[in-house]
Amino acid sequence: MDDATGLCRGCSRTLDEIARWSVMQDSEKQQVLALLAQRKKIKMGSDPCG
Amino acid sequence: VDNLLPTSIRVLERGWLSSNNVVLHDDAGTGTVVDTGYVTHGAQTVALVRHALEGRRLTRLVNTHCHSDHIGGNAALARAFGCTIAIPVGEARNIAEWDTEALHLDGFGQHCERFAFDSTIAAGDTLTMGGLEWQALAAPGHDMDSLVLYAPEPRVLISADALWENGFGVLFPELYGEPGLAATRATLDRIAALDVATVIPGHGPVFSEVGAALERAYGRLDAFTRDPERVTRNAFRALLVFYLLDRQLARLDELAALLEQASFFAMLNARSYRLEPGVLAQKLVAELAEAGVLQVEADIVRPAH
Repeated sequence: MDDATGLCRGCSRTLDEIARWSVMQDSEKQQVLALLAQRKKIKMGSDPCG
Repeated sequence: VDNLLPTSIRVLERGWLSSNNVVLHDDAGTGTVVDTGYVTHGAQTVALVRHALEGRRLTRLVNTHCHSDHIGGNAALARAFGCTIAIPVGEARNIAEWDTEALHLDGFGQHCERFAFDSTIAAGDTLTMGGLEWQALAAPGHDMDSLVLYAPEPRVLISADALWENGFGVLFPELYGEPGLAATRATLDRIAALDVATVIPGHGPVFSEVGAALERAYGRLDAFTRDPERVTRNAFRALLVFYLLDRQLARLDELAALLEQASFFAMLNARSYRLEPGVLAQKLVAELAEAGVLQVEADIVRPAH
């Protein structure tokens, strides 16, 4: 996780989003994915979070 | 997948470099985690597990099998929480002696942080986790010593890499001349005989269409059985991608050096492809780029996102 942004360096999700991913409905996953492109513009190196 | 699982179970769905982690709330104060991801994700694994424990203390860590993508966070979690570690009994020697060849680390260019275990689990043992009774069942095939964990009451199976929604893990034993195909068939038969409503796989999402998953797994196994060379080709591709997920990128000549110097890659090339390492690297990367798994820019190769 990136200390400054609180986002995963690989996927740009927050800790809570990663933790809840397995129980999110597809619609909620889509909402998160839509945010990621925006977030990725802000930052940082690449570290695929596996 | 809402409401599929008892509320005492939290699944941290990771990816391919890190296995999923299953966090179980044992009681109001303590919890257990099953499998811990890859070493480079250790800090994130600690943070995710802490989050999923919801204020509990992690007192116990259990591994289904001892591959780098399932045990990589063991050392970090033990440091962070002081938890005990239990591993399948068949892995005890390799872990105690930290035999990095037998653990498939050096041979495929993989890494792991050494850890010590406190106890072993054998097929037939029962464990109480998340307030539920779990049976440890033998699941050889992907790894001869692997266990899966089955809770009959909520009909939940932690299937490790023995059964995914779409297939199963690389058949390592078969690569070394052990009867991995026959073992895999016996393991799928054993799982098919269980009453399972929900599967928590080692990789990928939790799923409930168990019959369809078994059908796909048997189909894959049949294809491997008809043409055992496919086991090796599948392993090369999967392990090369794994290496790139770990390193994030590599030059083609670095991949050629890996295929030449990492002992298992070298042994399997000598047995199957019999290609000069540079030629083999180029061939594998071209196939994986064609499949959309890798991207290549000049001579830099990285996982596709």
